[in-house]
Amino acid sequence: MQLFGPNELLEDVLNKDLCIGCGACVGLCPYFKNYRGKTAMLFPCTLPKGRCYAFCPKAELDLDELSSRSWGVPYDGSALGNYRDVMIAKAGDQMPKGHFQAGGTVSSIMAFALKTGMIEASVLTDRKGLIPTPRLVTSPEDVVTCASSKFTAAPTLAVLNQATREGYGKIGLVGTPCQVMSVAKRRSNPFGEDDFKDPLNLVVGLFCTWALDTRRLIAHLSSLIDISRIQGMDIPPPPSEIMIIDMGDEKKEIPLEEIRPLVPLSCQICPDMTSEWADISVGVLEGSPELNTLIVRTEKGQQLVEEALKEGYLVVEKIPDQNLAHLRIAAANKKKRAIKRAKEEGMLNNPLGEKRSALRIPTEAVEKIIESN
Amino acid sequence: MSYIIEGQKGTRHLLMGNEAIARGALEAGISVAAGYPGTPSSEIIENLAKVSKKEQIYVEWSVNEKVAMEVAAAASFAGLRSLCVMKQNGVNVASDFLLHLAGSGTRGGMVLVPCDDPGALSSINEGESRHFARLVEIPLLEPGDFQEAKDITKWAFELSEEIRSLVMVRSVTRLSHASGNVVFGGLPKKKARPYFKHDGFILDPMEGVVISAPVDYKHGQQHEKLQKAIALFEDSPFNTYSGPENPELLIITSSASHFYSKEAIQLIGGQDRIGLLKMGTTWPIPPNLMEEHLSRTEKILIVEEVIPFLEESVKILAAELAPKIGIKTFFGKRNGFIPMVGELNPDLVVAALSRILEIDYEAVPEDYSKRAEELTLVGAPNRELTFCPGCPHRASFWSIHNVLEMDNRKGFVCGDIGCYSMAVLPCGFGTLKTLHAMGSGTGVASGFGKLTQFGMDQAVLSVCGDSTFFHATMPALVNAVHHKSNITLVILDNSGTAMTGFQPHPGLPVDAGGNDVPIVDIPSVCRAIGAKVKISDPFDLQETQETLLELLQEEGVKVLVLKQICALSPEKKGKKKYKMSVDINVCLGENCGCNRLCTRIFKCPGLVWDKEKGAARIDEVICAGCGVCASICPSGAIEKKEAA
Repeated sequence: MQLFGPNELLEDVLNKDLCIGCGACVGLCPYFKNYRGKTAMLFPCTLPKGRCYAFCPKAELDLDELSSRSWGVPYDGSALGNYRDVMIAKAGDQMPKGHFQAGGTVSSIMAFALKTGMIEASVLTDRKGLIPTPRLVTSPEDVVTCASSKFTAAPTLAVLNQATREGYGKIGLVGTPCQVMSVAKRRSNPFGEDDFKDPLNLVVGLFCTWALDTRRLIAHLSSLIDISRIQGMDIPPPPSEIMIIDMGDEKKEIPLEEIRPLVPLSCQICPDMTSEWADISVGVLEGSPELNTLIVRTEKGQQLVEEALKEGYLVVEKIPDQNLAHLRIAAANKKKRAIKRAKEEGMLNNPLGEKRSALRIPTEAVEKIIESN
Repeated sequence: MSYIIEGQKGTRHLLMGNEAIARGALEAGISVAAGYPGTPSSEIIENLAKVSKKEQIYVEWSVNEKVAMEVAAAASFAGLRSLCVMKQNGVNVASDFLLHLAGSGTRGGMVLVPCDDPGALSSINEGESRHFARLVEIPLLEPGDFQEAKDITKWAFELSEEIRSLVMVRSVTRLSHASGNVVFGGLPKKKARPYFKHDGFILDPMEGVVISAPVDYKHGQQHEKLQKAIALFEDSPFNTYSGPENPELLIITSSASHFYSKEAIQLIGGQDRIGLLKMGTTWPIPPNLMEEHLSRTEKILIVEEVIPFLEESVKILAAELAPKIGIKTFFGKRNGFIPMVGELNPDLVVAALSRILEIDYEAVPEDYSKRAEELTLVGAPNRELTFCPGCPHRASFWSIHNVLEMDNRKGFVCGDIGCYSMAVLPCGFGTLKTLHAMGSGTGVASGFGKLTQFGMDQAVLSVCGDSTFFHATMPALVNAVHHKSNITLVILDNSGTAMTGFQPHPGLPVDAGGNDVPIVDIPSVCRAIGAKVKISDPFDLQETQETLLELLQEEGVKVLVLKQICALSPEKKGKKKYKMSVDINVCLGENCGCNRLCTRIFKCPGLVWDKEKGAARIDEVICAGCGVCASICPSGAIEKKEAA
């Protein structure tokens, strides 16, 4: 992995609308801060190499190297990445009922992991008004308070940095694919430190097609409604093509074609829909908004799911072939779109040593993705 | 008690030019002095304030220069002698009243002393006040040494009463702030009782209405006054000539340039070839005197700073006198013999003399200058202008800068005049993006704040100090509120006119003479104007930043008052609130996670980078103990303990 510093991060990411505001660089040092969904560099830093660049999911993201380090295999561009099992899931009876999105699988897994002590603290994403706000949660009961879809990027990883600094050694994280990719970069020990310790013990990734720019969304919604009345929002699975804004006694539907222009370039070059570098990935099950799709990727993830099943925190069943096929197509399409866009923007596979690249994917994988149907 | 009133008549004293001017005003028997602080003028009012009780004079630091001139004018209208003092650009502020006062005329002797700052040593302009004398048509006097600073000031009051007009006595930094010997005259005992007579014949200058109309009548009177002044100037002892009867070259000069010219003639050994006419009465120039001196020679060099004011006046007269004196060859600013920009010095005058007279003279050998320059680069540490240790402005701009970056809309701050003007520099993190006159920051911001309707979405801020707020920010704030502009004004209230030496202002409970006076409360004024007001301690970085971020999200005019007393304030008496220390085991130094934030970016002079230890260190001698650096350290290596 090529390592650079804050100046290159500014040039390659912040100044090119590639920063999604995941928070990976926030809180490592005093130079990067996130406010209302946007990350800013407060002062110039002169270091030639820094964690900010090393952890950024939009800077020199070399998927082949990441795959070798994470899974021990080359990156092949398969639609769903490496996994052990895919299933349908929802929260079990033991999970206290709360207002969670879809099947409550994520909340249930995190609450269970906290309860068993697998993790001491969980980095989750809450919301203040329309602004997603990361939180560190240490009790299983608090997990559900963060359960809801955000649709805008959140500086969740800033809280991971904070938790690490505070000395937590077994941290759980719920993150979007970009956040999970950042975490994968940092877990690969990019600086080759001898005393490297991974403070994360569980990474749950969310499915994500795109996120919205927080400030642009607020500006857009403000022009339509009184945003102080918003209680929640949802984008039902295709083919509905709408965003539903819940204002308590009233619901407002906004066509997705109005919303799509608020998707930053950053999401348009993202090749990952299912959080391929997580222990467990979770999304909504197409056609059944009360259920989740659950992808188990690691041995650790598999053990946790099995224990949660045993303890009544999860209920699972086999995923229908058609659902799995659709999931593959959707994930492959995101890859295809991302590669196309990254290429157009000159952000893919630039010659090593000559020009930096947001994304590096082996040529064979690129071809496979482009040719996939 | 100031020594400017302690010396007996006829005794000799070493006085700063500004002290000599104050002494001159006292010898003239002034009753009222008013001004607004501004380098290099401030010591005149300060010295008068110190003796105000003993000498029974009224001295005030007015809210701005225009009001100062109005306050002084009232004394004149009531028959008393009054003095009005300001720096060069203060005259611009006062100029509207100045124009009308020149037209209406004065009664008791009234003198305006502007102190100009050629080379802008303590200014952001090289403004000239002299042209105001010509513009509004009042006599102009320029002292050429320290004795004259006193004597001309005293005489200016006599001239003012002789012609019933305001008289300008102009000083410059090198006269105001340098010192020389002055022989004292006596101090008068009796003071007149003020009475404003206004019920006489309406056009009577001493008993009627004080007004500049009817304009043609009053303007005509003004010209008669100037003719009287010219007649007095013809024989003035303040215009002196030294040198051969018919020199090869005649230097005409005034003010501090007199020193440089005298020295240059000596340096070049030109005493037998060069004549020196020092003018003390520089507008209007007396024509007979000029005829006499211009007739001495064919070549004339005019030596003066900034605008070719004297040069133009002399050339106009020379054109008029041409049938008598013939055609002369002039050297000066207009043909590049004297620089148009910056302060003069003897070397620059020598350079002009050696060119004109073809004398080989090298003030500084070229290889010496070159070598000196090389050595400076390697030998002298680069010392930037910076805020003092413990200065609240450093903390304020840290917060403003960080908030603007976090806000991430390429917002900016319209700056204003004060120590905080330095925030255009790295010491203020380059936060200020416009900088003009007193109060202009908020006026300019008020305009920027109306551009949202055209799609501008940058955050617009302005700053001003507490004294500047009263001086000229208030009207701009009213304008912004009334026109629904979207701006945030940050008032950097350090409890005094700090830059010029802690002169009081209406926000403080004491006046120039040390009397108790009521406070005009800045937040209350802003609220009354209709702005949303928040107050924060700039040393509390977190609260300040949160408050400012919140304000930036709101529409309309918002004011954040950042209140923290100046680190150099006499009230603080150098006392440290905290004892600071650095734990070098915790300091991250140059590593990722810090990269010397405190010594590379925050750069308080009280913090030192210890190269050998690879850690920051507190310079105990200059640390003011404000504690702010403890809040910026990302690893908590900087510790603060309540000082004993």
